[in-house]
Amino acid sequence: MDSTSITMEATAARAVGATKVYGSGETRVCALDGVTAEFERGRFTAIMGPSGSGKSTLMHCLAGLDTLTEGRVFIGDTDLSTLSERKLTLLRRDKVGFVFQAFNLVPTLTAIENITLPMDLAGRDPDREWLDNVIDTVGLRDRLTHRPSELSGGQQQRVAVSRALASNPEIIFADEPTGNLDSTSGAEVLDFMRHAVDELGQTIVMVTHDPVAAAHADRAVFLVDGRIVDEMADPTAELVLDEMKLLSRR
Amino acid sequence: MLKLTFRNLAANKARFVMTTFAVVLGVGFVVASFVLSDGLRSSFGDLSDEITVGTDLQVRPVSDFGEPPPLDQDLVDRIASLDGIEVVAGFVSADDNAMQPVKPDGTTISSAGPPQLTFSWVADQGLGSFALVEGTAPDEPREFAMDIDGAEANGFVVGGSYDLVTPIGVVKDATLTATTRFGSDNSTLGAVLMHVSLGEAQRLFGSPGTVDEIGIRLAPDADATAVAAAISGIIPDSGVEIVDQATLNSEQKADFNQGINIIGNVLLGFAIVSLFVSIFIIYNTFSIVLGQRVREMGLLRALGADSRQIRRTVLGEALLVGLFASLIGLIAGVGIARGLIALFEALGASLPDAPTIVALRTVILALVLGVGVTVVSSLVPARAAAGIAPIAALRDGARLGSQSSRRRSLTGAALIGVGLMFGVYGLANPPGTTLALVAVLGLAASLVFVGVSLASHMLARPVARVLGWPIAAGMGTAGRLARENASRNPRRTATTGAALMIGLSLVSTVLIIGESVKSRLGDLLETSVQADYLIVDDSEAGVTSDLAAELAATGQFSAVTGFRYDEARLSGTVSEVVAADLTSLGRLLSLDVRSGAIPSDEAGDVVLLHMDQADELGVVVGDVVPAEFATGTTIDLTVAAIFADDTVIGSPIVPNAVFDSAGSADVHQWVAAALADGMDPDLAQPLIDQIQQRYPQVSIDSAAEFQARFEASIDSALAVVNALLALAVVIALIGIANTLALSVHERTRELGLLRAVGMTRRQVRRMVRWEAALVAMFGAMLGVALGVVFGWGAVTALPVNFADTVTIPIRRITVLVVVAAGAGLLAAWLPARRAGRLDVLKAISHT
Ligand SMILES: Nc1ncnc2c1ncn2[C@@H]1O[C@H](COP(=O)(O)OP(=O)(O)OP(=O)(O)O)[C@@H](O)[C@H]1O
Ligand SMILES: [Mg+2]
Repeated sequence: MDSTSITMEATAARAVGATKVYGSGETRVCALDGVTAEFERGRFTAIMGPSGSGKSTLMHCLAGLDTLTEGRVFIGDTDLSTLSERKLTLLRRDKVGFVFQAFNLVPTLTAIENITLPMDLAGRDPDREWLDNVIDTVGLRDRLTHRPSELSGGQQQRVAVSRALASNPEIIFADEPTGNLDSTSGAEVLDFMRHAVDELGQTIVMVTHDPVAAAHADRAVFLVDGRIVDEMADPTAELVLDEMKLLSRR
Repeated sequence: MLKLTFRNLAANKARFVMTTFAVVLGVGFVVASFVLSDGLRSSFGDLSDEITVGTDLQVRPVSDFGEPPPLDQDLVDRIASLDGIEVVAGFVSADDNAMQPVKPDGTTISSAGPPQLTFSWVADQGLGSFALVEGTAPDEPREFAMDIDGAEANGFVVGGSYDLVTPIGVVKDATLTATTRFGSDNSTLGAVLMHVSLGEAQRLFGSPGTVDEIGIRLAPDADATAVAAAISGIIPDSGVEIVDQATLNSEQKADFNQGINIIGNVLLGFAIVSLFVSIFIIYNTFSIVLGQRVREMGLLRALGADSRQIRRTVLGEALLVGLFASLIGLIAGVGIARGLIALFEALGASLPDAPTIVALRTVILALVLGVGVTVVSSLVPARAAAGIAPIAALRDGARLGSQSSRRRSLTGAALIGVGLMFGVYGLANPPGTTLALVAVLGLAASLVFVGVSLASHMLARPVARVLGWPIAAGMGTAGRLARENASRNPRRTATTGAALMIGLSLVSTVLIIGESVKSRLGDLLETSVQADYLIVDDSEAGVTSDLAAELAATGQFSAVTGFRYDEARLSGTVSEVVAADLTSLGRLLSLDVRSGAIPSDEAGDVVLLHMDQADELGVVVGDVVPAEFATGTTIDLTVAAIFADDTVIGSPIVPNAVFDSAGSADVHQWVAAALADGMDPDLAQPLIDQIQQRYPQVSIDSAAEFQARFEASIDSALAVVNALLALAVVIALIGIANTLALSVHERTRELGLLRAVGMTRRQVRRMVRWEAALVAMFGAMLGVALGVVFGWGAVTALPVNFADTVTIPIRRITVLVVVAAGAGLLAAWLPARRAGRLDVLKAISHT
């Protein structure tokens, strides 16, 4: 293996000069202002920043849900800007996992059906061994045939993370996955994500406001006004909190 | 609160457009049926005036029953010699299509459309209502005239020579001597109007020396009453009457109105079915839209609105929607009426210029029906909305409260029960008039429809699961989700399906009745008819007895007889009587003689009676029954045999000689023939073809051909009814599209999520479309099931000669369900496209 392919392999997703502008003239908002960042394989990254700093926008663009005004984003070595709408959909289905803040599950499907949904959509059989592994990790084996309405908020989010994991994607994006949960349920979900990175070798990028949540990550990236202003390896809650206070004073 | 009502409508414009559309269509057709019949009534009223204006008095034969014998032609001259008379003329007119001219291309004008009518020519334009346009009036045998439009449309030119098909056979090389105009603008409604001389009319359609009626115009200073009195002095005491112009005019109008009313009522009937279907759609729309606004209502309640105000807001919305839709429907209705007139014209009927009459009654009815239907269908949703608690504003996923599932099912079952009881009662004791019967059955069916739509939510989930199984298996996740979506809201699926159910149940009822009648005919031909050939006159004017004589003369047949029909009074009650050649009868029909025997030759004044009639008359073989004919002749008939099989003829059967001595017309309504033993049908065919050529107005069919032709005519009748019912089906499909659009809107976030995790646009579209197909199939199957019940009821109620066992056209009905599913797929095209185009991010953050 040569060196380039190693760096390719090592990066699950990256953004190069990513710029996103909404509106024009008076109402022009620059949600992302030339963001360049890499997300390494097998790592858990937290994206932090004040409200309106562009965290969700960055994540949506990285995940192929939204398109950039300028710059490029890559999943693995695929340049998303070259993909058609259909190709983007297939990429999301096969290479990307998602966890939203709320409303993650299709109400008519059971927990297990929700978990295997992306593979079912692809008409692919899930890898049973991997799936068992994921289900054991999430610890909801006795709840698999329940519908979302029969699960607690925390359980629903864990099912959502399982769904993101089930197809063994290139990368998982989570936008404030614990934002709607109390601290205990939130901790369960975060532990589960940590576990997925450590034991199952997954790559996770998580947007959060919560320093405690960020402390579960390997690395924290700080965004202000659409720009990356700082980053921190092995964040702890106290360090992150200090940093955020600092940023909000700028 | 009124402000809120307006705001809501403005905010949900798109949602209400489709609801409005359903009401517009229903109201539109109601309005069209009134506008059309009012317009036609007015112009036909003018036409009646035109026809009768020149006739001051008319002398015509009358009888209590049957066809009265024509008047003696001498009477014309005797009336002419009276004082105060300016013009008097005798008329002879032919039955519809009795005379059919052969066009230059060798074919006759289709007798399926407007009729071809022939009259004797009367020179006086006032009495005759006709004027010559070109040429001279027909005077000699083998001369005729035709109305200008009929001649132009069919390529007849004055001076040309044409063959005429008439009851006495083909008249070769007749000359068209003139073209004519009827009234002022020749409004013939597509009928072809022809004239021959009086003598020729007597030869072709009547009998020499007689006329059908006598028209009289009085001298300017004459007194009508005095002249009428003078005329009654010289006419026979009974069997002839004198009528004045006013009577003629009102008779003529009543005659036209009967036809117009039929057209109007049929249209109205189908319009009402459509309106009824719209009720389900409006109800569904209001329920869904309010369901989506539960939190908003809760907030209003929390802010101090009381439940009455909420209910009023909702009903106010319904009122506005209904008013708006009715007004549009009113305009649309006028357009539809004009369109229908254009359609008639395109089909060859030249209608008199019908004015567009929008009567006040029409406007009021349109508003009452449109607003009424909309408000009534929103009553239940409005009550549910009023019941929303203030706390709903705070709860996520609060739902519109409604009656419990159990109560709903019980109410439904009760309505079905009451409806069926009504139906059974109506069919078992049919009320006197058709209108009353239709009203009772319509009420019964409506109760059943509402009942089924209430109760069927119990079925929606299991049925959707079963029907959806192949879809889920074949379409992957999109199919599975379609199945889940179709069964996730059983009430919605049930109501949406119910709208389609109504149309399809009526269509399948009609199909089942048709099929049962057809299969009954097959049985009849098998068991009761032994004849090899059945000769039926397509024009229904009857055919000369020469045809049967010619067939018999070929020597290739063992039995041939024509059948003549008349009425006679038997021991006081009027009954249809049939005359035939009794010698042949036994070899052509299986009468199943129970006592006595069919006389072997034409033996005197005898009669064969069906056993029921023999019972009623209290006679046995050998007894004498006096029969009084319309001509006044009474003949004592000796009962020769009593028979049991009334499938073809249930009336008394007499030998031809009896009709001859009674003076009944020698016209055969149909003819039956059996081949001689050992005669090869293939060898007989050329002979038959030859005779067919001389009598083009009849069809000489083998039993199998006869059956096929009859079935084809039933099929075309079914096609017309089903085409009209298609309107109800179209409205139901709009309902499916509407429900799906609302469901898509409701599930925006879910769709966004599905798209985010990798569902392609195509999969989304497929999911929505197959959900619609499932709903449609559910409705179609309910409809077919009800159709079987209704069809069974109708077939049981029909006289046994029409249908006795219920025959279900399985193949056609399967096609119906499949087509309904396909139509559901199509109906969901737009909602599916919209769902596919949703912006993923916006959809996810949709609240
Ligand atoms: N569809 C849009 N149209 C216009 N402006 C938008 C749109 N979406 C986001 N923005 C703007 O872009 C900027 C970044 O928004 P984004 O949602 O990425 O912020 P965020 O960091 O996720 O904030 P929060 O922590 O509140 O979720 C904001 O100023 C926002 O107002
Ligand atoms: Mg955000």
